[in-house]
Amino acid sequence: MTSYTVQPSEGPRRNALVRWLAADTMNGIKRQRAILGYTFLIPTIVGLLLFIVGPMLFTFALSFFKWNVFRPPEVIGFANFERLFSDPRVFVSFRNTFLLVIMTVTMLEVLAMSLALAVHRLASRALGYFFRTAYFLPVLLSGAAVAVTLGYLFHQDFGVINYYLGKVGVPKIAWLTDSNVVLWTISLTTVWRNMGFTFIIYLGGVSSLPSEVLEAAQVDGAAGWRRIRSIVLPLLSPTILFATVTDIIKMLQFFDEPFIMTRGGPGDASRTVVMMMYENAFGNLDFGYGSAIALILFAVIMIVTGVQFVLSRRWVFYN
Amino acid sequence: MQRKMSRREMLKATAAGAAGLASGLSAATVLASDAASGFAAPPLQDAVTIRFQESEQEYADVVAAYKEVAPNVNIEFVNITGVDHAEIASKILAQLAAGQPVDIGYAATEATQLYAGEGLALPLKNRVMDSQADLAEYFSDVSPVLVETDLYQDDLYQLPRDFNAANMYFNTALLTEAGLEVPGEEWTKDDFVEYAKAMTGIGGGDSFGYGWTNRLWGSWTPWFFVNDTNLLAEERAPGGEWLWGTFYKDDPNAAGRGGGWLWPAPQANNPAMVEALEFVVSLTEQGLTPVVELGGGATLQGFFTSGKLGMTPAGGFWSGGLTNAGMEKGGFDVQFWPKWATQRHQLGVGAAWILNGGGNEDAAWEFVKFNTRKDVMEMIGFFGERTRTTPVRRSMNNEERYSKTGPANWHVFYDTLDKRPDTGPIPAPTFSIEETNIYTRYTSLATSGEMTPKDALDGMQSELEALYARNPSYPPSN
Repeated sequence: MTSYTVQPSEGPRRNALVRWLAADTMNGIKRQRAILGYTFLIPTIVGLLLFIVGPMLFTFALSFFKWNVFRPPEVIGFANFERLFSDPRVFVSFRNTFLLVIMTVTMLEVLAMSLALAVHRLASRALGYFFRTAYFLPVLLSGAAVAVTLGYLFHQDFGVINYYLGKVGVPKIAWLTDSNVVLWTISLTTVWRNMGFTFIIYLGGVSSLPSEVLEAAQVDGAAGWRRIRSIVLPLLSPTILFATVTDIIKMLQFFDEPFIMTRGGPGDASRTVVMMMYENAFGNLDFGYGSAIALILFAVIMIVTGVQFVLSRRWVFYN
Repeated sequence: MQRKMSRREMLKATAAGAAGLASGLSAATVLASDAASGFAAPPLQDAVTIRFQESEQEYADVVAAYKEVAPNVNIEFVNITGVDHAEIASKILAQLAAGQPVDIGYAATEATQLYAGEGLALPLKNRVMDSQADLAEYFSDVSPVLVETDLYQDDLYQLPRDFNAANMYFNTALLTEAGLEVPGEEWTKDDFVEYAKAMTGIGGGDSFGYGWTNRLWGSWTPWFFVNDTNLLAEERAPGGEWLWGTFYKDDPNAAGRGGGWLWPAPQANNPAMVEALEFVVSLTEQGLTPVVELGGGATLQGFFTSGKLGMTPAGGFWSGGLTNAGMEKGGFDVQFWPKWATQRHQLGVGAAWILNGGGNEDAAWEFVKFNTRKDVMEMIGFFGERTRTTPVRRSMNNEERYSKTGPANWHVFYDTLDKRPDTGPIPAPTFSIEETNIYTRYTSLATSGEMTPKDALDGMQSELEALYARNPSYPPSN
């Protein structure tokens, strides 16, 4: 008599799993939706892990090492941070960066908002398009090209700006070689190149102001500065918050203009934090120290942004 | 059989770690340890691709010629630019850190010891001695001043390709307007000041007698060289007999040379250095020099070309550069640097280096050697009709080369080596990038009037001392 042994097949088990996933019940539908959702999220999650979280973790780890690419990394604990907090040049670079942020963001916000209000009031649609295009054009230019060109214009002895100032009796200004002036020069250059983007944000905000509120204010007799201060600015406050937060984050990472126009000089008068980080990591081959500077800058950006959001509760009106 | 890992693989693996997770760090440690311990290059494959740090445009003819000789070798170009050689070195190292090394790099003096000292560049001593027959003609045509610059600790790391010593360029239109002629070889610092004064305020009323750029080469460096001092104390490492005795035994200019230059300590604030900086700052204070900027000299070239600048330090590279910028032959000329305490010139030498442990050393060496042939060097784009850097071969510095562009005193370029054999390299130890940063930073403080020359040099000395303290292995003990 022949006996047969039946091997358990994968089939029924797989079928059970499929049946569980495809179950036509409320829970089954929830499961299917969840799987679909996670499937769509996978590319983003992988991208985030690979290009943002991974390098951030690596930078964090690297800040505890001494590493110059050629030799094996050497664990040095908190030595990079101890060195950083006793390095006067790092403090100078943070001071320069904060001064640049204050000067640049103030000019950017005031100018961009004023121009947006002015352009919005233009009766001629053609003129409106012209000014929008004109203000936005510098944003499309390369930062390096702008810095090189404006570097020539600001040259103390041969620059066009001092030439025309000389025509009206103003003595030569050391735009790029005087410690008291150089940050202003870099700030003006940055404002010129970046104002278009902030301007567009404000123009969007101004265009969406509720007309009935503005008309009611007009009927109540609010005009001029009073209208701007009491009606327009509160209504624009969410736009102001967004523009200010993004501009501050961007400007805390100042690099192109000072690197190309002054190389951080004279001395360290225009050296920014990102320049310090770059020079230490890639110039001096001290990747650990460069990473430590990067981490501190990251923390500063986080704190500044957090403070802005906390303070915004007092002056931003969403309704 | 255990396969050893090449430096290229190590760097790629390290870069992967940088882009990935922190756990990659431990892997990089292991890989870097392998690299540091030395490893054998894999055997040559039938088809080899060499990553070559050069411009394809400049080397198209060379590569085409090499294809005839070695059809199995493919040259892949990696073009890297920068405002100066220190910046180019920074970018090369950034590429290395990103896991994209080159098989053959190009280094000027600013980076020669950096690559050699870190074990990145392949030592060539044994290969050179094995190729004596191939290289004898090359060395006979190249000044020992140049070869000595590429020696480090008794080994040779590069075969010089081009050089530039800082000579004095003159705008002949301004000279003529000032009623002057190009001075003789023996002119002095005092003559220079008179020339600078005479050429200031003419040319439409806003010209300057002399201009310079703040960097290591050709900055105010030529002034402290002629004042018989240096930013860093210099000495010759022992050795080199294998080279001098083999290729230069009949050359009197090779006498007394050693195994390469070393700069064992900083001396930025010695009295002669202070005197030299005070001198150049006084030129700015007198209005003879325009504002001094950091950079590669493009701004000065513009002013020189447009007749706003009378004199400036530059090497042979400027003859082609000025012609390209629109100057006619005869519009400029050149002379030795003026005498002060001495007439010692400073120079930089450029050449290819081979990645040590990259796996393609043999193929790269053959290509580098091929490039030393005179007929091959003549094919390089920047040694063409408009010479954009000075060829190291004496025989290539001839009347014909400069016949279409000038300068009339073209012989000054190579005479700087043959008639002034005490000419030496700019001080560039293994940490020259950081040194250059300190040097230019304090120089800018002095030239902008923010610090006195003495205070600036005291600060420079202090930071250089700290830099040496952070690099206790330099100079290496023999």
